[in-house]
Amino acid sequence: MPAVPAKIRAYAKQLLQLSLDNGVVSAERVAGVLEYLEKNPPARLSLVLAAYRKLVAAELAKGEARVEHAGPVAPEALAAIAAALGRRYGRPVAATATPNPALLAGLRVRIGDDVFESSVSGQLSALSAGA
Amino acid sequence: MSTVLAQIESQIAKLSSKAVRKNTGVITTVADGVAKIDGLSDVMYNEMVQFPGGAIGIALNLAEDEVGCVVLGDVSKLKQGDEVQTTGKLLSVPVGKGLLGRTVDALGNPVDGKGPIASTESYPVEKIAPGIMARKSVSQPLFTGIMAIDSMIPIGRGQRELIIGDRGTGKTTIAIDTIINQANINRVGLASGDPKFRPVYSIYVAIGQKNSNIVRTIAALEAAGALEFTCIVAAPAADNPANQYLAPYSGAAIGEWFMENGMDALIVYDDLSKHAVAYRQISLILKRPSGREAYPGDVFYLHSRLLERAARLDGKGSLTALPIIETLAGDVSAYIPTNVISITDGQIFLETDLFNQGIRPAVSVGLSVSRVGSAAQIKVTKQVGGKLKGELAQFRELAAFAQFGSDLDAKTKAQLDRGSRIVELFKQPAFSPIAIELQAVTIYALQKGYYDGIDLKKVTATSVSIREFFKARHDALLTEIRTKAALDKDIEAKIVAALDAWKSTQSA
Repeated sequence: MPAVPAKIRAYAKQLLQLSLDNGVVSAERVAGVLEYLEKNPPARLSLVLAAYRKLVAAELAKGEARVEHAGPVAPEALAAIAAALGRRYGRPVAATATPNPALLAGLRVRIGDDVFESSVSGQLSALSAGA
Repeated sequence: MSTVLAQIESQIAKLSSKAVRKNTGVITTVADGVAKIDGLSDVMYNEMVQFPGGAIGIALNLAEDEVGCVVLGDVSKLKQGDEVQTTGKLLSVPVGKGLLGRTVDALGNPVDGKGPIASTESYPVEKIAPGIMARKSVSQPLFTGIMAIDSMIPIGRGQRELIIGDRGTGKTTIAIDTIINQANINRVGLASGDPKFRPVYSIYVAIGQKNSNIVRTIAALEAAGALEFTCIVAAPAADNPANQYLAPYSGAAIGEWFMENGMDALIVYDDLSKHAVAYRQISLILKRPSGREAYPGDVFYLHSRLLERAARLDGKGSLTALPIIETLAGDVSAYIPTNVISITDGQIFLETDLFNQGIRPAVSVGLSVSRVGSAAQIKVTKQVGGKLKGELAQFRELAAFAQFGSDLDAKTKAQLDRGSRIVELFKQPAFSPIAIELQAVTIYALQKGYYDGIDLKKVTATSVSIREFFKARHDALLTEIRTKAALDKDIEAKIVAALDAWKSTQSA
């Protein structure tokens, strides 16, 4: 994978700043940015767009908790997780649930780069790593 | 049966049900032992990261949107898209006396097939060297067992003395001799039951060496009975560069444990030229800017931070370092040699010419120095060998002149004769260090003219015969020299009497 030139990375970062509304990515602003790019295409537009996409995706991931679960999860629990993470990270967090039977039991929550592991499979792998 | 189940259940109960937070990233590229990772936003510099499949890595490059890690272990199982986790820990190795007699890799895992290492403690591989206040000046000797070194380039506990020379000049042999001599001294000292005796434990770090060489070294140490006081850290040539880069720091951590716990240790880095090459490889793959000879800008710091960890601590123990550097065609002014020469407290310079002339150890007396060791020399060595360095220097000068003319005055002839006798006297076979009291006797015999009149070729054999005679018949006198560590009139008279007795056995 060729490295993205520093200039393009910096430009994409500026675009990301323009896409934030109170620190949260807003669809309206992203639409505005895209419209601007269409009208005034910079050099190497495809690279700029790819870098911009990556930054927006990373930003969105920070506000989105993906809850993997084995067994049922009550909507109240999801809401509680979203609220707890929102307090922890100081920004609104939405939680989405996906079933993952490989966990055996328990939950695994991903938000941004962080993973909160509270599953039997996670504990078993910790146990086997410690052995 | 039920106890087994109870054990498993207690282990399960120990697993907390609390959520564990981990910071993760995804591998974007893996090449030449270095992985580039997207994510890992919370990773610290030098933090250990966990790759899938049990391999670990160290985060060395923290960029804005990418983390560069060296992979310690099998790279072949890693692929793009694999998830990587932070561990929140710095790399550490097991330390303690359980490592003595063992061979470990750069991460402290045993590689000698003697089972797991009995160690409860671990020390971080990277550690800031002791500060000014914690240190004490070097004042206790560390005998190498090599006469040329102990009498003219003495080494003290806590000193860093570089061993430098071309390939095949006996650099490793000097280091191994020193380790063997420490073991010999330890055995005598521990057997004497002297409460003040401080044993010296050795650590031998093999960096980028052939496995066959490491096996030979271990065999030599074992044959000499030195392995029980020695720990070997092996990062052979086949090991990945990350392990070769880390091995000296792991060795230093093992040595620091002895130092911190009031014991004395000796560490040999064999060799730092290959260490610099391994680090250059990592740096180039990490795309760090390269400087002279393509080494990265921090190659000086690479060695200075390592060698600064050797110290003598106030109220605690010491760590003496013998780094080894290989030169090309005797060029000590190359980049890495000058760096390490400037960091260390002196160097033992070995010359190919001397080696080929049969002068072994091939120590070049003119170019070798010890900047702090003379403070650590015991009185007896000073008394018998104080003038040797000057005499040898004069001899070299005269020998150069004498080549052009045959008409020499008697004084010059005498000086030349004496000089060549000193050179002969310092010849010593490999892996046979000489105890300091025997060295003193050997050199004392020279000062009193006991080698005069003997055929030059027989001087080395004569010195061996003197030592054998003293070992066999005057053990009490040798012990007296060792414990008093100085010559007084009484001891001198005894030595002269013994030498005369030896002489009578020769003429008979």
